[in-house]
Amino acid sequence: MAGGAADCQFWETWLNTQCRLHELRNKERISVAAASKILANLTYSYKGAGLSMGTMICGYTKREGPAIFYVDSDGERLQGDLFCVGSGQTFAYGVLDKNYKWELTVEEALDLGKRSILAATHRDAYSGGSVNLYHVTEQGWVYHGNYDVGTELWDAKDREQSFNHIVTSIPS
Amino acid sequence: MDILIGITTKDSVLIATSKSVARGVSVIKTNDDKTRELTDHSLLAFSGESGDTTNFAEYIQANIRLYGTRNGFEMSNKAIASFTRNELASALRSRKPYQVNILIGGYDVKKKKATLNWIDYLAANVELPYAAHGYAQYYVLSLLDRHHDPNMTQEQGLELLKDCIKELRLRMPIDFKGVQVKVVDEAGVRKLPEDF
Amino acid sequence: MAGKDCIAIACDLRLGMQSVGVSSNFEKIFEYDSVYLGLTGLATDVITLSEEFRMKHNMYKMREERRMEPDTFANLVSSSLYEKRFGPYFVGPIVAGLNSKTGKPFICGFDLIGAIDFAKDFIVAGTATDQLYGMCESLWEPDLEPEDLFETISQALLNAQDRDALSGWGAVVYIITKDKVVKRLLKTRQD
Repeated sequence: MAGGAADCQFWETWLNTQCRLHELRNKERISVAAASKILANLTYSYKGAGLSMGTMICGYTKREGPAIFYVDSDGERLQGDLFCVGSGQTFAYGVLDKNYKWELTVEEALDLGKRSILAATHRDAYSGGSVNLYHVTEQGWVYHGNYDVGTELWDAKDREQSFNHIVTSIPS
Repeated sequence: MDILIGITTKDSVLIATSKSVARGVSVIKTNDDKTRELTDHSLLAFSGESGDTTNFAEYIQANIRLYGTRNGFEMSNKAIASFTRNELASALRSRKPYQVNILIGGYDVKKKKATLNWIDYLAANVELPYAAHGYAQYYVLSLLDRHHDPNMTQEQGLELLKDCIKELRLRMPIDFKGVQVKVVDEAGVRKLPEDF
Repeated sequence: MAGKDCIAIACDLRLGMQSVGVSSNFEKIFEYDSVYLGLTGLATDVITLSEEFRMKHNMYKMREERRMEPDTFANLVSSSLYEKRFGPYFVGPIVAGLNSKTGKPFICGFDLIGAIDFAKDFIVAGTATDQLYGMCESLWEPDLEPEDLFETISQALLNAQDRDALSGWGAVVYIITKDKVVKRLLKTRQD
């Protein structure tokens, strides 16, 4: 989630309740399409009222396979297999588009996701702090840890010989 | 918004500028050259308010050329960037400021070193290994952070530039009609073919 | 920041256009012999003023055949800024130095049109002033030795800039004593 912290936090916990109710009523987990549609209908009903959210609903179901839906506060809802959301989105796209391919292994995908966020936290003043990684499978999601950008970026710089506009010593 | 990208490599500077010029709802030119050669080893790329751009660039070009003929030697790239900045800065607090963003790519034949100066319309001047102006910044800076290497060859630099253009073609909401690429190196300033 | 017969001055290294960071090597501290000037604010004015002061400082040296004292430089800054009272430079300057006669620390800050704020303890400027005041008020104490002053000013700057989105991307610290100036680059978070 990106945008208004309260909007995102509130409506995504609300979405969680809706999904749980669906599960209790239908004795079946909700599809990603349906879950994202609930949120999109909600944001659309509030259109113009000043909500600010950019979200991605990610899931894996038998019927749909892996699925990502982009939902925002304009009421837009899009399916796709690659999205970046938030003030640093463009910076993340830059790294992601260059290195993304469908055949990525789980480990490679986690690394690329982390690296893309790292790129965004660096260039975008309003992004930063730490990176959270999740892997979503048919069995549910697996949390792959929290990485502090403070150390992670210097590690990436050393490893890749990248970020070389950053000065590491002073002349004279 | 126009696109300006500059990348320094071990022995050259690459400058890419978008080829489209749009006025209102129409694209009125698709092979525009948004650069001017200041000296044999210095290239100025510009974007911004129409009219201001070429007028300012050619004013700078004329003055740098004049300096060269008067003194019998060319201005250093640092001095060129500083002079350009000063002209922009004094215009900034005049009745009619120039609204021009600038990249200056230069190659110092004696020091065998390529430099790139980033100057915005407010006349902030910084030397950088790679830089961009306008919305292009938002897409290519992260890519350059990841893949730029100061010791890369000109060929590697051009490959990196191609990756940048590819990203812009994919993500930019408007068609900028491709880019023109110029190289500044030991041999001077050179325009590269369409597919560089 | 003032210490015991020493002063420290520090700045971050970021230059940005709103949300996007452009340079991580934009120093905001300028040396004029033994006087140090910190300039925050609009980058173009930082460059313009630092060069104007370089010229004025050199002119003074040639005319007077002596070095400029920190308090003299402060008045130069003040009058230069007030000259542009109705079309000001958008800067937040600070001056620091040791008086060459008395050896006493001198630090002061200014608003953008030249009002001087003399201080005995510390002066802050820039987008992270709120955070810097908080850090300095709690960390600073009188008569710090150079090594302790370095630690104090570094921690104050580092923790303040990490709480400000528009500051950071590296930091530089100067520790100035009677016969030595040490400049250090701090390894900081890069987000």
